[in-house]
Amino acid sequence: MSVIRILVADDHTVMRTGLCLLLERQSGFEVAGQADDGRKTVDLAGRLMPDVVVMDIAMPHLNGIEATRQIVSRHPQTSVVILSMHSDESYVLRALKAGARAYLLKDSAETDLIQAIHAVVAGKSFFSPGISRMLLEDYIRQVQQKGVEDSYELLTTREREILQLLAEGKSNKEVSSMLNLSLYTVETHRTHILQKLNLHSVPELILYAVRKGIIS
Amino acid sequence: MEPTERKVHNNIPRPPAGRPAVAFRLALLAGFGGVFLLMAFAGIDSLRIVHRIEASNIKSDQEFLKRNDTLERIRADFYLSGSYVRDYLLDPDAASAEAHLHSLKQLRTRIETALEEYSLGLAPDERAAFTDLKARFATYWQSIDPVLSWDSRQRRTRGFHFLTRDLVQRRIEVLRIAGRIGDLNERRLHSQEQSVSALFQSFRQRLTLILATNMGLGVLLAAGTVFYILKLENDLWRRYKEILHFHGELESLSARLLRAQEEERRSIARELHDEIGQSLTALLIDAGNASALVQPGQEDLRARLASIRKLAEGSVASVRNMSLLLRPSMLDDFGLIPALHWQAREMSRRTGVRVELSADDAPDSFSDEHKTCVYRVVQEALHNCARHAHATHVRIVARQEPTRLLLVIQDNGKGFDPRHVRGLGLLGMEERVRYLGGNFHLESEPGRGTLIKVELPLVDMSEPPMKPA
Repeated sequence: MSVIRILVADDHTVMRTGLCLLLERQSGFEVAGQADDGRKTVDLAGRLMPDVVVMDIAMPHLNGIEATRQIVSRHPQTSVVILSMHSDESYVLRALKAGARAYLLKDSAETDLIQAIHAVVAGKSFFSPGISRMLLEDYIRQVQQKGVEDSYELLTTREREILQLLAEGKSNKEVSSMLNLSLYTVETHRTHILQKLNLHSVPELILYAVRKGIIS
Repeated sequence: MEPTERKVHNNIPRPPAGRPAVAFRLALLAGFGGVFLLMAFAGIDSLRIVHRIEASNIKSDQEFLKRNDTLERIRADFYLSGSYVRDYLLDPDAASAEAHLHSLKQLRTRIETALEEYSLGLAPDERAAFTDLKARFATYWQSIDPVLSWDSRQRRTRGFHFLTRDLVQRRIEVLRIAGRIGDLNERRLHSQEQSVSALFQSFRQRLTLILATNMGLGVLLAAGTVFYILKLENDLWRRYKEILHFHGELESLSARLLRAQEEERRSIARELHDEIGQSLTALLIDAGNASALVQPGQEDLRARLASIRKLAEGSVASVRNMSLLLRPSMLDDFGLIPALHWQAREMSRRTGVRVELSADDAPDSFSDEHKTCVYRVVQEALHNCARHAHATHVRIVARQEPTRLLLVIQDNGKGFDPRHVRGLGLLGMEERVRYLGGNFHLESEPGRGTLIKVELPLVDMSEPPMKPA
């Protein structure tokens, strides 16, 4: 197994050092570089081509979400793990929309970071248990309050299967080859799933899956 | 900022110097009282005088008529007496002559009684004439007396001569004097009439004087009153402008306070979240790193480190909560609507109240003040819903239109009477909205929930309204 190269971006020096220490301790991980602001992170990501960027949201010059967007669009092979103080859905949703694959709360970084990095390298999403619990609770509360029937029931078995794969971060193409379907069929399924669940994008779909406990 | 604050201190309203109003009010009161008393006096006096004049007029008329009547009677009786004398003298029948004589005597008594009656109300200028008249009457009766004892022969021979020569002469004199008395009586009436008219004259003068005084006093009073009213009006206007001015000052001051408070909250929230929170998290991670270095057999140290981590974890959570409560970072990071969504969720999570927010998810371009205003209004409203209204369902609609931002918050709580209840929270909301030139509208009724409607104009609000460029 090759070494996973990691770029750590956080403007808080003690925090950053702590993170590096934590990562270095793991075998198979290598801290390729450190950055203390968003612009520098984008820069370094371009030069170092790390497998994973561990990214703080609140950073000077360019915030972590914007930096994620730029890195993911320029270097799709790089996965971004957001490490944030913010637990609210609006941050999670925006980070996902920007292309992040994992969202961790800083206070659980010490226990979850290693797991999250392994997950994103394997092409999966990962959320801090605190985050997924919160999203799930909100969802349950909404369903209870509105008394709306669970729209998940509307999906066919095939659609549920595809939903899970998409939520785990697979592309349409990967899904089509995994399920032996044509790319066109997968796209149609995807459109139906989004319609039935009243969602508009894959990040929203991921969030939905987390809320439902389909992925964690 | 400095000069305006200076001004606030310089223009603190002072109480008006002294109270001249009390003296003036007393003078006005006395004046009006005087005018009223004078008018009442004039009225009563006039009535009294008119009454007196009327009475004296009637009295003098009656007196005149009575005396005239008495005089006429005397005169008529006197004529008649002449006839009796003549009949007595010329009647050949002794018995009827005797009857005539008897009538004459009766007549004489009657005349004397009438004279006596007339003499009772004698005027000074009549006295001489009246004495004369009485004397003439006496001579007249004296001249008749011897005749009355004549026998029938004497009467026949001398009667006619006496009649034509003595009696007629005396009668003419008596009648002349009686006529004079009649004239005097008439003059007396005239003089009485004159006195009445003099009384009338004096009455007119008095009335004129009183009315003129009253008029003068009234004009003075009116002038004083008008002057006073003008002065009061002036004072009032000045006071009104002062109040307006201070009201404006107060509003701008409170707006500045709100802004300062918001700024403070923002910086404290940031400081808490980014500095203290980060440091605590770093501590957490470092404690983890340290516990990885712990050698076997140092379980004590590992437990210490675990307790440090636990403490740090708890602190991070409470710092995060504090920071969000002060001012949620989404408000500055993502804008108003995400912050409202967060608040709605947070409210549901904490209280179980169902909060439904309908708002466009499009990125907003509201000014910082607009964002803060709407956010704080919603926060306060939700706080009220949970704390006072005990609502179970709250609906929030935030809509951006080309020229305005519309916010509606409706709950199904127990409601209240807005005419009687007006807490600081509501006042604060209204103030925030009004400062941005918006409308704040609240509808509530006990048992019918509460509806808050806020309308904020979106035209250029970059300039504070208190200081036009």
